[in-house]
Amino acid sequence: MFNFALKNILFYKGRSITTFILTFVSAMLFVVFVSWQDGSHNSMLENSLKIYTGAIEIYHKDYRDVGGNEYLIRDAKSITDKLLHVKGIEAFTTRYETYGLLSSKEHSGASMIAGIEPDKEKLLSSIAQALREGEFLDETNGNCLYMGSGLVKKLKLHVGDEVSFVGGASDDSFAADIFKVCGTFKTGSFEFDSSASFVNRSYFDELMYAKNMASYITIKVENLDDVDRVNSEIIKILDDENLESLTWKTLMKTMVEAMEVDNIFGYISLSLFLVVIFFVIMIYGFINVSSRIKEFGVLKCIGLSKQNIFLLLFYEIFILSSAAFVIAVPLASYICYYYSINPIVIEGIAEMYKDYGIVSDEIPFNFDMYTISWNIGLIYLLNFLSILYPYMYINSFGPIEASRHV
Amino acid sequence: MYKLILKMAWKNSFTRPARTLLVITMIAVSMSMMLAIQGLYDGMVKNMVDKNKRSDSGDVSLYAKDYRVEKDIKYIIKDAVKMKEDIEKLEGVEAVVLRVMADGLLSTARKSSFASVYGIDLKAEEEFGEFSGFLKEGEINLDKRGAVIGIELAKTLKVGIGSKLVFSTQDTLGNINSIALKIKAIVQTTNILLDSNAIFVDIALLHKFLGTSPLDATQIAVMGEDKNLVKLLKAKYSNLDVKSFLELQPMIKQMQEMMVIFNSITFFIVMSVVFIGIFGVVYVSILDRIREFGIVLGIGMQYKYIKAQIFLESVIVGLLGYISGALLGAILLVYLRDYGLDLSSFSDALEMWGYEAIITGTIKVSYFTTTFVAILAASVLSVLIPIRKIKKLNPIDVIKAEK
Repeated sequence: MFNFALKNILFYKGRSITTFILTFVSAMLFVVFVSWQDGSHNSMLENSLKIYTGAIEIYHKDYRDVGGNEYLIRDAKSITDKLLHVKGIEAFTTRYETYGLLSSKEHSGASMIAGIEPDKEKLLSSIAQALREGEFLDETNGNCLYMGSGLVKKLKLHVGDEVSFVGGASDDSFAADIFKVCGTFKTGSFEFDSSASFVNRSYFDELMYAKNMASYITIKVENLDDVDRVNSEIIKILDDENLESLTWKTLMKTMVEAMEVDNIFGYISLSLFLVVIFFVIMIYGFINVSSRIKEFGVLKCIGLSKQNIFLLLFYEIFILSSAAFVIAVPLASYICYYYSINPIVIEGIAEMYKDYGIVSDEIPFNFDMYTISWNIGLIYLLNFLSILYPYMYINSFGPIEASRHV
Repeated sequence: MYKLILKMAWKNSFTRPARTLLVITMIAVSMSMMLAIQGLYDGMVKNMVDKNKRSDSGDVSLYAKDYRVEKDIKYIIKDAVKMKEDIEKLEGVEAVVLRVMADGLLSTARKSSFASVYGIDLKAEEEFGEFSGFLKEGEINLDKRGAVIGIELAKTLKVGIGSKLVFSTQDTLGNINSIALKIKAIVQTTNILLDSNAIFVDIALLHKFLGTSPLDATQIAVMGEDKNLVKLLKAKYSNLDVKSFLELQPMIKQMQEMMVIFNSITFFIVMSVVFIGIFGVVYVSILDRIREFGIVLGIGMQYKYIKAQIFLESVIVGLLGYISGALLGAILLVYLRDYGLDLSSFSDALEMWGYEAIITGTIKVSYFTTTFVAILAASVLSVLIPIRKIKKLNPIDVIKAEK
């Protein structure tokens, strides 16, 4: 049956070439589109994780939902001591975050001010690498403020300038101080750069009356794929119902959801192309079998079963699809691989979409053989489905009727 | 003669009904899907444009020079009230509003966030952009230090109707001032900046709080679709920063352009594939009847009549596909326009990106006219090669040939 299918393919060249080209186009389109879509989403998530959000963060229950000083972690050290025994954690640090007003001589602006452990922070986030001017914090810094470039611009400050801070301490009292701008950073995240500033924790704890307290503890894992396992272990080792340990999937739920929506729209658009191509492949298959009804009639008369006819059509579409994939898969894979390591750069896209959390002009593709495999699997499936109607059409003729068909 | 040809073309179109129906189905399904997708995407952008205009910039906005860069209330438009009256008298102007805006810190007893306070005149905003249409919860009322808050900001601060807030910022004298406000309503404008940052208060209250003159404003927004309005305002107020909607929203401009490109590419690819489908069927249909054409040529039928018949057959199939596709597409578009695509389970994400949870589509006559032209063109072009084959026929050879 296989050889018979091969002969048919070579004989009916028009149908074979059309099916081959359409399968090739749909495979290329599907694989490259999904790779581009997944790549840009992964890049957005990775950038967000790199900048500040941890892979896992530990909070006091209700800190995220209700907020307020009563939901601060009170004994951070006891938790960090436990974290030392969890496998899969690469680094962790405590952060104390508050909101306050920063004022220069003429200008004021609101800021999220975080007390951080500078040496540990370097291992966890990219704020140290995002240095633009001056220097990043170190453990010896006192009243040094490391500010986002947008915020510095807004307050018309420069490195070395003084800036006053007014906010609320951990005991709900007023806290105020004069800081000196030691460094500025630019991560690319518009909102973060125009609102965040950092102080060495040891100094900030004195000011905020926050020794051994933390808004949360942020954790970097050795392998992001293991995040759920590590998180389960953390929950187990903490064994405290007042604490919650959350992975990035929960912390960035809105962003993950937004990407799912984007995927939905992407697949809706793509489905249009695939449906049209499916129809054309089916039409050509149908035309092909309808011009061979007499032949099928004769074959049925000499004993060809329905199963054999199905097998024949299946082999035909299988050979044509496989031939198209032999060229499409390596080519599409190469494109995906190439652009995964050499991302497409669209100048100005980060600036244009800054409100949407886009921090880079680079759009990398995602190179993942599993994704490519299921993409190709789906096209195979569509092509196989396209033979069902022609198959039913042939079987609607009896052997004698078919052999006399004009 | 042509009546007879039309009759023959109609009958021949259904000689192989399964084949013809398959092509009609292909055209109908692909066309209706394409129309629905175009309508949905255009609807998303249109909705965004409409709500951004109504909630913020209008068709044109005027700011003091440097205000948009510095965002400082010292760059305020002096005597804006008088200017508003003058602009209202201009031809093509539908509505004008004045607004005052200041950035600061918005705090509850438990949480704080950056926010922008907008001083607005509710009555004027209602005429300008039907502000009450943005209401999600509560009652829009700015009396007694009442405030209306953007939906994302309310989520960030975990506040609801009746919650009390304190807004702190710097006044015109450089002093840090705070004002207590009470949430009366939550709005969703789908303007990402307003939804995630804005709190609206009465403009008179904000003037008093900031120490600015009640005659001044940081923004004058003008609604009016006259194309010359921007030019006119730019010329008349050259001392101010006058920007059209798309100049203020380059992202939306880019989205519109991308949508046009996307729709064009989609249209081209779909129509090309449709062309291949029609071509295949027409070509095989002619090959099937090659003896028939040989015979009619042999008995003296002119080539031009055969050509007309084949053209008509193709056009009949194309038109039937178009009519089915247009009907199916219209049903989908009307559904999307009236009920929309409900993505409530992703509402948080959509709201974060400035979309509503139910995305509604739009209907344009151009969807149907351009598709009509394209399908007609595809039908006509698909017969060119088969017709050339008939032209080269020698009737005697064809009649002699075995089928």
